[in-house]
Amino acid sequence: MASTQSNVVGAGSPALKWLLRIVVVGYLFMLIAWPSLYVVRRAFEGGVSAFLDVLSDPGVTHALQLSVKIAVVATLINLLFGVGMSLLLVRYEFPGKRALSALIDLPLAVSPIVVGLALILVYNGRYGWFGPTLEDNGIQIVFSFPGMVMATTFVALPLIIREVVPVLEDMGDEQEQAANSLGANGWQTFWRVTLPGIKWAIVYGVVLTFARSLGEFGAVKVVAGNVSGETTTAPVLVQQKYQNFEQQTAYAVAFILVAFAVVSLIIVALLRPKDHKPARATATAAIQEKI
Amino acid sequence: MSIDVSGVTKRFGDFVALDDVTVSLPTGQLTALLGPSGGGKSTLLRIIAGLDQADTGTVTIEGREATNLPARKRNVGFVFQHYAVFKHMSVAKNVAFGLEIRKKPKADIQRRVEELLDLVHLSQFRDRMPSQLSGGQRQRMALARALAVEPTVLLLDEPFGALDAKVRKELRDWLRRLHDEVHTTTIFVTHDQEEALEVADEIVVINDGRVEQIGSPDVLYDKPANDFVMRFLGETTDLAGQTVRPHDIEVSMQPGVLGSTAGTVTRILRVGFEVRVTVATEGSGDVLVTMTRTLARNLGVAEGAKVWLTTAKGATTVPVMSAV
Repeated sequence: MASTQSNVVGAGSPALKWLLRIVVVGYLFMLIAWPSLYVVRRAFEGGVSAFLDVLSDPGVTHALQLSVKIAVVATLINLLFGVGMSLLLVRYEFPGKRALSALIDLPLAVSPIVVGLALILVYNGRYGWFGPTLEDNGIQIVFSFPGMVMATTFVALPLIIREVVPVLEDMGDEQEQAANSLGANGWQTFWRVTLPGIKWAIVYGVVLTFARSLGEFGAVKVVAGNVSGETTTAPVLVQQKYQNFEQQTAYAVAFILVAFAVVSLIIVALLRPKDHKPARATATAAIQEKI
Repeated sequence: MSIDVSGVTKRFGDFVALDDVTVSLPTGQLTALLGPSGGGKSTLLRIIAGLDQADTGTVTIEGREATNLPARKRNVGFVFQHYAVFKHMSVAKNVAFGLEIRKKPKADIQRRVEELLDLVHLSQFRDRMPSQLSGGQRQRMALARALAVEPTVLLLDEPFGALDAKVRKELRDWLRRLHDEVHTTTIFVTHDQEEALEVADEIVVINDGRVEQIGSPDVLYDKPANDFVMRFLGETTDLAGQTVRPHDIEVSMQPGVLGSTAGTVTRILRVGFEVRVTVATEGSGDVLVTMTRTLARNLGVAEGAKVWLTTAKGATTVPVMSAV
């Protein structure tokens, strides 16, 4: 890899190569690594026991559990919806397809706070469009678990789709047609041919979605209201504790959120090349052999 | 028994891919659908397979009405130009796919897979992944996979189109021998006339969404229905209002032959044993004549020489239809 990169950058100018490296590393360090390391340092400022003390606080455990629950449900919804939507976008032609594709990116473009406000407008129990009807039937959405899941699902919606769609496009539909002509029905084709082909895109999309869902702050905060700790998620807790000068707690919870994100990305990065590297190496071997 | 396509029309937007095509393909034979790119031959194959739907018309496979039958129920084997291998499955798993879908007993599947891998000479690669195979090996695997389900008909869409010339020739010979062994009704699409003439029992020439001619390679070559078929099956030139093959023109260095066309040699190109002579004539424009090196030397053909051209006796000719 290093040799090909140097070829692209321009052979014969090692000075430029080093300059670029320093710029990139410095940029990433100042923007991501240093602040994250600082969070870690502050989290363990009082030693490991202080850190563990924070974790035994029922308010903290409740917030972490709530965040995980919301993230799990939101990720499951986005998994089903995302894979289905990707298949629809890639494999079928229908009017309004381009508009739909553009609409899917909306959650990335819109501020999460606006998402929260929009959900409140539609679902709140007093003057929302559906809210009063649902509330009459005993279903409360805003200021409770369903609303928080909806807000999180909305915000993380494009992540799986944007991972899966290019892989599906790249894969083409010939393998599916082949499966079909060999007697496989739609479900068998999906399960045995399509799904294995997009497996890694889904894994990556799920990890991103889960990490994003776990850390969602704006939309959830608006929808959660303030039901005395009942609807406080981990990121919201970090903010509250920070403002209440309980910085030790704030940093400890923040550390857990960061650690989770980093660990999950590392796991995926480790899993993925194992699947792809041998294939690539043998593909080049096959090209060399040709027959 | 046969595969009968009747009155099939298929449009893609404004483009008419197939225009009221009716053709009957006999059982047990190796049939080629031959024609230029975009002529509709692949579309016809995909309609027979059920991968595309005809706008109008019917398809009958071995007496069974198949027009509205989904692809998975037609019991056809389909081989794609770009192999369409299942990338995440081993060679053996690929071949076993159709049998596993049909829920055959494990032992039967294993025996049949071994048989087929043997047939396509891939036994030693059974546990490899498709990415570890060359193009020719992948296509043989795809063929074994299609044959595994004992299809009523085997359909191959430009099966050797993505392979280099040498492998293509090998596989072509191999397909012919395979068909002589297995006898499955086979239809393959090609735009390569040499491939069709060499391999097929029967050739269907398709152009502009219509069937131009159906017949054995000999019939097509000796009695082409029109100048399109003749031009498509090999090199041709026009002499005195007739389309004729360049090697069927006789050259005389003196006038006097009845009905001969006078001209001047403008260019001579030697390719191995063959000499390609371009003659500028008054009535017929530039005429291409090919002859052996020996004949050219004996005649004394040289650039600038005056020559008289006639069509050889018994040569296949077709009237030029340039006005149409």
